[in-house]
Amino acid sequence: MAFLELANLTKRYGAAVVVNGVNLAIDQGKLVCLLGPSGCGKTTTLRLIAGFAVPDGGEIRVGSRVISKAGAAKPPERRNMSMIFQSYALWPHMTVFENVAYGLRLRRLAEADITKQVGAILDVTKLGALAQRYPGELSGGQQQRVSLARALVVKPQILLLDEPLSNLDANLREEIRFEIRSLHDQYRYTTVYVTHDQTEAMTTADVIVVMNQGAIDQIGSPEDIYKRPLSEFVARFIGGTNIFRGANAGNDHVSADGVVLQCGSGEFGPSGETAVSIRHHDVKLSETQPDFTSNVASAMVERQIYLGSHRDYLVRLQTGATVRVVSDVAVDIPAGRQVWLYFPPEHCRALAR
Amino acid sequence: MSLNAETAAETAGLRRSIDLSRPIFGLLALALCVLVILPIFWLAVYSLQNDAGEWTFENFVILATDPTILRAFGLALLMALGVGILATAIAAPMAWLAARTDLPCRSGVRILVTASFVTPPFLGAIAWEILAAPNSGIINGIYRWLFGLEADAYFVNIYSFPGLIFAIACYTFPYVFTLVANALERVPSDLEDASAILGASQLTTLRKIVLPMVMPAMLAGSLIAVLQALTMFGTPAILALPAGFHVITTKIWSLFQFPPQPGLAAAAALPLLLITVILLRGQKWFLGRKGYTVIGGKSGSARITNLGVWKWPAFAFVAFILSLAVVFPYAALLKAAVTTNIGEPLSFASLTWQNFNFVFFEFDATRLAIWNTLVLGISTACIVTILVVVISYLVVRKSFPGSSILGFLATAPVAIPGIVLGVGLFLSYANPVLMLYGTLWILLIAFITIEMPAGYQQISSSLSGMHPEVEEASRILGASRLTTLRRITAPLLKTSVIAAWCFVFIGTIRELSATILLTIANTKLVSVIIYDLNESGNLGAIAVLGLTLLVVSFAVVIIAHRVPLIARG
Repeated sequence: MAFLELANLTKRYGAAVVVNGVNLAIDQGKLVCLLGPSGCGKTTTLRLIAGFAVPDGGEIRVGSRVISKAGAAKPPERRNMSMIFQSYALWPHMTVFENVAYGLRLRRLAEADITKQVGAILDVTKLGALAQRYPGELSGGQQQRVSLARALVVKPQILLLDEPLSNLDANLREEIRFEIRSLHDQYRYTTVYVTHDQTEAMTTADVIVVMNQGAIDQIGSPEDIYKRPLSEFVARFIGGTNIFRGANAGNDHVSADGVVLQCGSGEFGPSGETAVSIRHHDVKLSETQPDFTSNVASAMVERQIYLGSHRDYLVRLQTGATVRVVSDVAVDIPAGRQVWLYFPPEHCRALAR
Repeated sequence: MSLNAETAAETAGLRRSIDLSRPIFGLLALALCVLVILPIFWLAVYSLQNDAGEWTFENFVILATDPTILRAFGLALLMALGVGILATAIAAPMAWLAARTDLPCRSGVRILVTASFVTPPFLGAIAWEILAAPNSGIINGIYRWLFGLEADAYFVNIYSFPGLIFAIACYTFPYVFTLVANALERVPSDLEDASAILGASQLTTLRKIVLPMVMPAMLAGSLIAVLQALTMFGTPAILALPAGFHVITTKIWSLFQFPPQPGLAAAAALPLLLITVILLRGQKWFLGRKGYTVIGGKSGSARITNLGVWKWPAFAFVAFILSLAVVFPYAALLKAAVTTNIGEPLSFASLTWQNFNFVFFEFDATRLAIWNTLVLGISTACIVTILVVVISYLVVRKSFPGSSILGFLATAPVAIPGIVLGVGLFLSYANPVLMLYGTLWILLIAFITIEMPAGYQQISSSLSGMHPEVEEASRILGASRLTTLRRITAPLLKTSVIAAWCFVFIGTIRELSATILLTIANTKLVSVIIYDLNESGNLGAIAVLGLTLLVVSFAVVIIAHRVPLIARG
């Protein structure tokens, strides 16, 4: 039985439906990422779980006890959760030690226990030497680790993270990303992590929940989401892809943009329209015509960029549509040259949505 | 077990969001309406009634035809314009010198400007009486002595229209100075570097880049100076009345002298209110134009211009202005405080404690006035602070739709000149039902209304600088709403709350424009006593009281500035 359940959860702000009938079950100890573009309702969902917002419909249950339902919610302070905020929300008038000790003091622990536990978590987050500093005296990465320590030290039932890395620069982001995952492996708190960054989601999550326009589009492991997208939105949002839109020609074939594509996987639309997705690096580029009857198109190189580990091509089909191809550096064809594209069927995925 | 019982058990601990903020909002909205709208309402009603209580436009007809009132309006507008121009002409160059050049003693300049800012304008006017009255003025005495002139010869006469403009400008130029200096400091040096790299000389850059960028701030500052001059009562009453003319504020006051004409006073107050609202709109427009805000945050600090040979002439200019505004007047007050006759030269033999003795021990009225001033200052500061903290919290945290109306009401009094509010409050509370006239209560109401906008701006800006997540972080870790307020919000707001309290207190103890219409013998305040003593010519006592007021004000300003240091430790 799932530990944290969202059942038909709905939230409106005025006429806008921000969260629209979300159903989600999260098992104990899992790290789930809510992933989606800004305005998709992921942060509102998180705030509903935290109890900062009251739903307009549906329920939130923890261990089968209802904690939120339409018009009523258990206040955040009685949910035994903790949260890491986008702005870190460190209290500037308290030292690092006092910030981290705050939650334990509220739980009326003995001062000796507080010192011990805070000391332990500060060591884990490499902040031991900074205990007596004020937040204003720390770098961005250190502040982020204080907010991690402050959230973890209270041993929450559920840990919530709201875009925790968006204020850090690229190097730190990568470092803390792995740190969050390793802390999760260590403590195994049930965690909900909100982000718009797919790399962040793929590094940290057990399960990724892709959200779009207030609703869940797809739930799955990072590999599911990347390799087996169910919709055009997910295929485009995770990893980037070429989309062909065309008519279902029967027998796993789709004809689009003057190309007949045999699809190795996916679901076809019930009638007519079907989209086909193929990742940039799965398209094969050559100057000679490949020896296949379908999944082949002739095109012209419009632009080529050398990126060290690979080359990034933009090629134009005869119909005018463009295709992006990522190829090995060895494939070096200058712009303006006629080329052949091959779309291997095992990488062509039909998308019903 | 029935299904109902089960749901009840399952959902135990869930809270319907009961909103305490709703009744609080209602109460506050009502209180603010009483404070802000009621006086304006009665003002409008009285202006449209004659003595018999019949509806009529009579008052406005008189207003438009009585030459003495029209003349008072005209002179007031001319005076305000003159003050605006003079204040800008001296403050803008000073601000540039203090903010962007290697002028010597720049921090000293700022301290003296602050001193001018804190000085109650009516006190400055009295100091200038001591210095530049045609007969007894110290400057004219020295002038006659130097050139061996007759006793009726004089060099300067403060009891004149130019004298009035000068005396007001001395204490309003800090508004322009502060706004322009701040704007200059916010022009990042790379904007000037960008101009220089394209080939502009320093002077061209100043003219084409820096000046246009600070222009809105300068115009906004000038408008405030104009507004201050237009609505000021004390200085014109002290300087214009002996010179034999009225401005609009003194004219409104005179309409309350015997025989009182409250209807006409109300009618005369309304155009003043209208002009104030228009000027404030203009100021907002100047400051609010998007194109003038500096885009991008990470820019170098302001660049300092090397004055070269102009260093000492520039210093002389600044020193001269500050001597006129602060050094000479303060010296004159000090001298008046320790001598009996301001005309005679200062010597050890002429030193006396008599004025101090008179003010603090002999003259009953001052002791009562000091007591009243303290009581009102402290209670106004406390009430306003509590009010604006609650209002700011509701508005900034957007507790529910419509809470922003409270913010509007709390800032609205900024557009009500003191004398207009005085008339409005007199009309609202000097009737048989609410007989508050002649009590300290009516003064308390007036001061709360007058000081609310400044307090509100202080608190709401520091509250909106505080991310709501700071409070949410405390909630999710297990603290209730109240615990969060006590342990997170309150400590973080402490500094600005103390600062707001201090500024409200200072504003209250120097208020004269509204007070003058609302006091009687039992409810005199220090500011009114100073005004009364001026009428009777007791300059020594005024100087002592004035200096006391200044010392208290400066002490409070220093506390307010010190607070951040205390809060940290």
